[in-house]
Amino acid sequence: MSRPPALQLIRPTAEASPVGGSAERSLLVRAAQEGDVRAFAGLVDMYYARCLRFALHMLNDRSDAEEAVQDTFVRVYRALPSYVEQESFEPWLFRILANRCRSAGSRERRRAEFVEFGEVPDRPSEHRHDDAIAWREEIAIALAALPAEQREAFLLRHVEDLSYEDMSIATGAGVSALKMRVKRACDALRSWLTEERHARRD
Amino acid sequence: MHDETDETITRITAALRQPPAVDPTHKARVLVAVAAERERAREARMRAARWWRLAGSMGVTAAAVVALMVWRQKVVDSGRSATRANAQTVAASAPASASTAKPAPSATRHLAASDAAGVAPLPVQLVLRAPAAHRVSVVGDFNGWDAHATTLERDPASGLWSGTVALLPGRHVYAFIVDDSIWMRDPRMPQSRDADFGRPGSVLLVGQP
Repeated sequence: MSRPPALQLIRPTAEASPVGGSAERSLLVRAAQEGDVRAFAGLVDMYYARCLRFALHMLNDRSDAEEAVQDTFVRVYRALPSYVEQESFEPWLFRILANRCRSAGSRERRRAEFVEFGEVPDRPSEHRHDDAIAWREEIAIALAALPAEQREAFLLRHVEDLSYEDMSIATGAGVSALKMRVKRACDALRSWLTEERHARRD
Repeated sequence: MHDETDETITRITAALRQPPAVDPTHKARVLVAVAAERERAREARMRAARWWRLAGSMGVTAAAVVALMVWRQKVVDSGRSATRANAQTVAASAPASASTAKPAPSATRHLAASDAAGVAPLPVQLVLRAPAAHRVSVVGDFNGWDAHATTLERDPASGLWSGTVALLPGRHVYAFIVDDSIWMRDPRMPQSRDADFGRPGSVLLVGQP
């Protein structure tokens, strides 16, 4: 009797490079608009990691972030026929993602109203095991303490490298308002992190 | 106003730009969700197309009824010079013409009946040998590529996972999802050449000799 074939494990696709070339992206978008599902999978490969990074920084919770990213790609797929190529794809994508993060953030805030005092997370200084990790934890806390619109503006500008014009498309806010949000975010982060370091030294 | 990129902000930015740990199973679930969305959209388009065909056929019938009524009205108008008794006869026939609209619903029933007769689903058993798996489900064009729609049951003795699905006659593409993370085609069936979203699938022909 012949042995049944073993499980065939499908190797996951290679991790997306953070930024794909604009020509490649245009080709993928156009092909996906024409119904090419492989092209859409290519866009997911290209942007998944960046979208997840943005959602993680915005929501500070992996399952919420993954849900927001999944919902974003489904909505992008649904809206792709109405996407006009004259628009830039990245701000269009980030507009959908930022909206999903805002909705998820509102749900999170409502949940947080029921959190008891005893559940407030520990400060990272109590678990300091490595300087680099402690630094990332400090940043995460400082970032989470920012108002959502400042956090969003800071991440789009300094982490996702969007221009202020593209940020305006992604957020619906004006360029000068965005510049102000980024400046306030920088001031708050600098102040928080500098004071935190000094406090630890003392 | 300008961006303030001093050393602290540069360090913060460098830390935040680190790529996140990506769970490949979640990425696969994203593609499954998109495939389900595509299937929903396709079904919605088909429903709309059916509705328009039906509306079109009813529209033709209604147009025919209207034309008939207009024609009869002309007959009535031309008969006004005739006797009152004749006019009453024509007027009395109007409800009878309205009843000619009745064939539309019966035509609809006929259409539905012929559809139903042509698409009777057949039970098909899907089997996968995966003794070490904790959960196996099937995704395919028949369940909207929904990873939670069709879960297989395990036979502990043989390590076989099986389930029966009702499939319409024709060609179907499907795949198994093992432990919510491994997408694999049915190794005992031919591989689909039109692999969805770059994931392999198997082809199943139902109702073929």
